[in-house]
Amino acid sequence: MSSNISGNAYALTILSPIKDGFTQDEIAYADIVRDRLQGWNAEHNSPMALVPQTYLCRYFVLDDVYLESLPGGSAIDTLVDWLPFVPDTLRRWAWPKEDHLKSRYLVFSCNFHGGPKADLDGYLRGMWNAIGDRIKEIWGYCHGFDQVDNADKFIDYMKKCQLTATLFFVGSNDDPLEEQLKALYLKQEFAKFAIDNQGLDAATVKTNFQAFVDRVRPSELDGPTWKAGAYRVDELVELKKNKG
Amino acid sequence: MSNIAGKAYAMNVITPIRPYTTWVNKFIFWIAVKIPGTLKGLITLSLIHYARWVIIGKDQFPHLDPKQPKEELNYTYMMFFSNFNGSWDQYVDSFTFAIPGGLDLFWKWNIRYSKSVPLTPFHDYIRYNQIETIHYYNAYPLAASNDVKSAKTVKSSLIKFEQDTRNVSGDNFLKLYNALLRGLQHDMGDMYPTPIVSMSAHQVERRQKWHAANLPEGGAGPTGGTAPKEAHGHSAKKGK
Amino acid sequence: MTKQLDLLDIQGNILRAYGRFGYPVARYVFLNVRNTAKGREFVGEITKKVTTSVEWGDGPGKIKQPDRTVNIAFTYQGLKDLGVPISSLVGFSPEFASGMKGRKDILGDDGPSSPEHWDPIWRGNRETREKDVHIFISLNALAGQGLDWLTVAEKNRDDAYAWLLDEINKTEGGVVLLDGHLGDDDANLNYQDVRVVLDNNGVPTPKEHFGYTDGISDPVFEGVPYDERRVKGRGKQMPGGTWAPLATGEFLLGHVDEAKEYPPAPEPILLSRNGTYMIYRKLHENVATFDRYLEEQGSKFPGGKALLAAKFVGRWPDTGVPLVKAPDAASNAKFGAQLLSLNAALNAAQKKGDKESVKSNEQAIDDILSDFTYDDDMSGAKCPFSSHIRRINPRASLEMMNEEGDKPGSFKVSKDAFDTPGALANRRRLLRRGLPYGEVKDRTRDDGNHGIVIMMVNADINRQFEFVQQQWVNYGNDFKAGNDKEIILGNHSMDDNFPSKAVIEADPDSDQPPYILSKIPRLVVTRGGDYFFIPSMTALRMIAQGVIDPT
Repeated sequence: MSSNISGNAYALTILSPIKDGFTQDEIAYADIVRDRLQGWNAEHNSPMALVPQTYLCRYFVLDDVYLESLPGGSAIDTLVDWLPFVPDTLRRWAWPKEDHLKSRYLVFSCNFHGGPKADLDGYLRGMWNAIGDRIKEIWGYCHGFDQVDNADKFIDYMKKCQLTATLFFVGSNDDPLEEQLKALYLKQEFAKFAIDNQGLDAATVKTNFQAFVDRVRPSELDGPTWKAGAYRVDELVELKKNKG
Repeated sequence: MSNIAGKAYAMNVITPIRPYTTWVNKFIFWIAVKIPGTLKGLITLSLIHYARWVIIGKDQFPHLDPKQPKEELNYTYMMFFSNFNGSWDQYVDSFTFAIPGGLDLFWKWNIRYSKSVPLTPFHDYIRYNQIETIHYYNAYPLAASNDVKSAKTVKSSLIKFEQDTRNVSGDNFLKLYNALLRGLQHDMGDMYPTPIVSMSAHQVERRQKWHAANLPEGGAGPTGGTAPKEAHGHSAKKGK
Repeated sequence: MTKQLDLLDIQGNILRAYGRFGYPVARYVFLNVRNTAKGREFVGEITKKVTTSVEWGDGPGKIKQPDRTVNIAFTYQGLKDLGVPISSLVGFSPEFASGMKGRKDILGDDGPSSPEHWDPIWRGNRETREKDVHIFISLNALAGQGLDWLTVAEKNRDDAYAWLLDEINKTEGGVVLLDGHLGDDDANLNYQDVRVVLDNNGVPTPKEHFGYTDGISDPVFEGVPYDERRVKGRGKQMPGGTWAPLATGEFLLGHVDEAKEYPPAPEPILLSRNGTYMIYRKLHENVATFDRYLEEQGSKFPGGKALLAAKFVGRWPDTGVPLVKAPDAASNAKFGAQLLSLNAALNAAQKKGDKESVKSNEQAIDDILSDFTYDDDMSGAKCPFSSHIRRINPRASLEMMNEEGDKPGSFKVSKDAFDTPGALANRRRLLRRGLPYGEVKDRTRDDGNHGIVIMMVNADINRQFEFVQQQWVNYGNDFKAGNDKEIILGNHSMDDNFPSKAVIEADPDSDQPPYILSKIPRLVVTRGGDYFFIPSMTALRMIAQGVIDPT
């Protein structure tokens, strides 16, 4: 079993190599990708809010690998503590080598609800169907993406770019996103209910609770709930889910 | 860039591992998954939505096209992706204070890892190996991991309570209702925008104009010192 | 070997909360440096009188307790204008450089607490060079022993102030006294006076204006000779419920901290060692709102008003006994009686000069007030998660968990989850100094001149003070409380869209519901303040001589 999966949650890690080229304005393709992603930040909400089952995800461009390290932290350096002296050659040999990447990579790291079947294909299909144009806008400068023009090809492409996680830690839970959002809505609403009904007599609380249940409909995901990706408290609640 | 989306912070750290010790790292992760208790500190801290470690062999960087040059690397790389609540300092600090041994175990085989104590070299280690996120999406910007978890408890408790009390009234109803409240007493925290966690976060929030728009004028903002109102006031001041 | 600090090098206000040592009155003065050379000369003159941390009493290495204390600290721009070189200045922390006003978003100083409502001195600070606060000087005055204790203290203070004015005058405009402190009836004063709160009979009390006992759990750290016996409940909680002093570097630069390293500090080491950062904050207390809210909620709270008042803070207002030890009025009364007799015995012992008896009685009082953990109150049934003392210093209580099968609404210790039980608290501690200011003349009004000036001391403003203020006072996620704030100090919103609330937890084993405090009003309002650096005596002399040179 792949360690991309923890329960019903799925950790998708994508590294897509960006072509080494630039536009007429002398902007490298990798920088264009970055600029377009910056542009997403200025939109009313992220395009990813439209992609079903997305908990949290991120995009960035990996320019190179990094190797900050503790000087003198290697085994040889530790040996120096005990040895009367260490040949300089040995000391130099212990220095880390310097690595550099030949391509810059678009990194897409996504946590989503994959369900009991860890349905990566279904997620990617949903992503393509929801924001296909936006995907092209970002991935368009990547190697091998030229031929991608439908959901199946997108799924194939993404799988070629996929890396397997060694450990996936789920600190919240792996419920479907609709469940999580509904639960959050209920939590906020119930706290208000508890305040409003504090100290009232049994009959009143009972009546009020029934009205509360009728309004918030705890078991119905189609009833009032939180909108995915909403920042503003006054835009948070969605009374009726638009199925589309 | 945008390392912050509501209450979540996106951290990306990339660090080299010697190819021949990669298996040790993988083994440690395997242990972490298999043996309950290994992650107890992490779970108790309760600051993470989702986190993952990805080990990329030196020959495993995706190669999609013959025109793409092949990578020639000396090392295997470990990428760490985390979605946590709080600011960078708060998170890194909490981890080093609370579970330094756990951190050292996970990063131990990374080349010249600085160890989690003392703090400053560890801060530097993370900082210099960290890559900023450009676009970060969070389905519930107003909720911390604690909120997502407690919301689940609230939801199941409410459904059960509703079923259990359909035919109960009077004192018995009140008794059950009180028990419901008691059971949820640590699950009712408000979910408003997060306090500004750093001045750069402030900038991020400020750009998100929709966040500030149409909030009621006068009085304090959502959490008092929160993004929308403050962002508004700040930009107004700058304009003078 | 036990660590021994160089007490002669450390300013006295860092290690001593003067109020506790018999100084019930103080005056805080703020200055603007107009001429660098004269400013340095002035610092040199003041330095000669600065009170160190040296032990008081008879015997070798001790001095007689002074009638008045003098301490001095500087803002970032103060150091700059006194000629501290840029290569040293860049070593100070960014938050110190930006100052309290610049950090208002982090601190939640919004609405009525925002800088435009601060006292004029703090409004003008960091706007124009002439109005910048550069130097802070505190003068604490020793009380007399007899009935004229207050008159004596006030005379000591006035003498000290006269001396200071004289020194300022000698600079011939090189150093200027800043006005803009609001006093009674909005009088514009050129100093901030503070004094212990008196009861109706004019007897000094350890209380602030809401009526709570203040300043009990001040941290204890390594190397302070007069704090060695006070470590229980004040140091760091160790496995098995024992206590150890915190690392010195949490409160003093140039010493190893809890992360086994020297806290970030400016160079050269002679500038920073034995110095530290101080947060000066003037907090107005809305007494009428407090009384009204307590009355209104207390009439509904099942435990009654007195218990609710205790729940706000985590200690009983009348005795100071922690709720963890005395969860109900009966047990509070019992501890109250014990404290009464212990205090009587202590007074008698002091009069007789019986040092052993003084010690043992002090110890017994201390044990009641300070020696406790939250280990038996992990669910908050006794001391609420949002109460003042639990939020300011959660001790080991954040190492908590609720596993499947545990009683709903309960928490227990997540044993051995962390490196040390107090892992999340030990690096967030603050030394608290300062005293109440003003008098409450009419409890039905908020707008009088009354509050507290709190001065907090720590090695890292961002990691300690700002973290506590932001994450634990104005936010509650670490306490599983979402955005719920600390009840007393929280920057509660009056906006109906975002009302503030807090949960007073019930015992998970009882049949009681929790009580929810709703629409909590803003009880405490910021009236100004800034971040200061308190240099060591060595650094003071070097600043005065202009010889700081990190090259």
